[in-house]
Amino acid sequence: MLTTLACAAIENALNLLLNKEPSLKQALEQVKHQTLAVEIRDWHTTYALIFTGKQFMLFNNYQEQAKCKISAHLETLPKLKDPSVMTQLIRLDKLDLEGDLHLAQAYSGAFAKLDIDWAEHLSAYIGDGPAQFIAEKSQQTITSLSKNTTTFADTFTQLMQNELKVAIHPLELQQFKQHTRAIKQHAAQLEQRIEQLLNR
Amino acid sequence: MKESQHNTTDFGYKTVDREAKASMVADVFHSVAAKYDIMNDLMSFGIHRLWKRQAIACAGVRKGHRVLDLAGGTGDLTAKFSQLVGDTGQVILGDINDSMLKVGRDKLRDLGLVSNIEYVQMNAEALPFPDNSVDVITIAFGLRNVTDKDAALRSMYRILKPGGRLLVLEFSKTDNEALSKLYDFYSFNILPNMGKLVANDSESYRYLAESIRMHPDQETLKGMMEDAGFEQATYQNMTGGIVALHRGFKY
Repeated sequence: MLTTLACAAIENALNLLLNKEPSLKQALEQVKHQTLAVEIRDWHTTYALIFTGKQFMLFNNYQEQAKCKISAHLETLPKLKDPSVMTQLIRLDKLDLEGDLHLAQAYSGAFAKLDIDWAEHLSAYIGDGPAQFIAEKSQQTITSLSKNTTTFADTFTQLMQNELKVAIHPLELQQFKQHTRAIKQHAAQLEQRIEQLLNR
Repeated sequence: MKESQHNTTDFGYKTVDREAKASMVADVFHSVAAKYDIMNDLMSFGIHRLWKRQAIACAGVRKGHRVLDLAGGTGDLTAKFSQLVGDTGQVILGDINDSMLKVGRDKLRDLGLVSNIEYVQMNAEALPFPDNSVDVITIAFGLRNVTDKDAALRSMYRILKPGGRLLVLEFSKTDNEALSKLYDFYSFNILPNMGKLVANDSESYRYLAESIRMHPDQETLKGMMEDAGFEQATYQNMTGGIVALHRGFKY
C-alpha cells in the first residue's frame, strides 16, 4: 500500500508539472494512450506510465503488455534524459529495452527539454521578489551541491587508488612468505655452523 | 448458497424476503448518496482511493476498450477509465440506484468528463447488454449488496467478450486476529456514530458493517467466480485482507 501511495504522490507531482508546463503536453501528444513500462531492477517492480492527453497515470506492480518496456537500475534512470546515450547504455547492459524505442525516446526527449521557470510559478504565491530570491538561492545551492559532490567523488576515487598502491597483492604476500622461510632456513643453518665451530 | 435455495436472503444480519432486499439496499443508498464520497474518505481514512488505484492498474484497460463500471456509484473508477479508453472507447457507469447515478453524473460532468461515458440504471443480475459486448467489467464495493450474486456473476460472464476480464473489489475477511478485533470494534462502534454525525444516518452504516460480515470470504468468492465460468480466477488481499481484489477471465 505504501508503494501505491508513493505512486499516487508521484502521479500528482507529474500532473502538477504538466499543468505548469504546457510544452510537455505538446511534446507527448504523439504518444498519448501508449503505455511505457519501467522495471526498476533494484526494487524488482514494474511501473507503468500512461499519458492520456490530459493527464499522466502511473501504476505500480504493472503486469500488462506495454508498448515499450524499460528495465534499468535506479542510478541509470536519470541518464535516460539524454536520448543519445540509450544505445550506449544498452550495450553496457545497464538498460534493457523491449518494444517501441520511439516511445522511450519521446518521453526522454520531452522531459529533457523541460525548462521550468520556478520563479514564475512561485511568484503567484509569494510575489515576484521573494520568488526570484528563492529561485536564485536554490539554483546556487544545487550548483554548489553538485560541485561538492563531484569534488568528493574525485577525492574519494583518488584516495582509493592511492590505497590500492599501499595494499599488497596476494602474490606479493606469497613471495614475502617464501623469502621469510628462506631467511629462517639460512639463519638455522648459520646457527648450526656457529655451534659446530664453537664445539671444536 | 443459502440465497439460491430459499426465498429469503440476508440484509446485513437480518433475514429478509429476496424481493425486498433490492429496495432495502436502494433505501440505504438513497440515504447516503449525497455524502457518499466524504463518508468513504472518512471511514477508510482515504485508503479506498489506493484500493481503487490497484483495481485500475489490474484492469488492463486500454484505448478503445468498452468498460462497464458496475455499481459504479459516484464514478471514481469511471473517471479514470474514461481517460484510459480515450475517444474511441466507452465507459458505462451502471448502478441500480438512481440517486447514486445522479451524484456520479454530476461529479463526472464537473470534471469535464462527458464524451465517452454513458449512465445506465441496471440490475447486475440481468445486465441489459448483448453477449460478448464488453472488454472489462469492474464492480467495486457493490457485489455484497446484490441479492443473487451467482446470477450476477453469470450475467457478467455472458456480456464479457472472450479475452475480457472481471474485477471484483470488495470487503473481505482478514486472517490477522488482532486486526480483526480492531476492525470489528471500529465497524460496530465508531462507524455508525460517524454515519450519524456526518450523514445523519447510523442505520445505513450499521448495515454496511453487517453486510461486510455476511459477504463470502476470498476463497468462496473465487469459487463462485469459477462456477460462473471465469477462468484463471485469482485474488489479491489488501490492507491485511480487509479488502480483496478478485480477478477472472473469460476465454
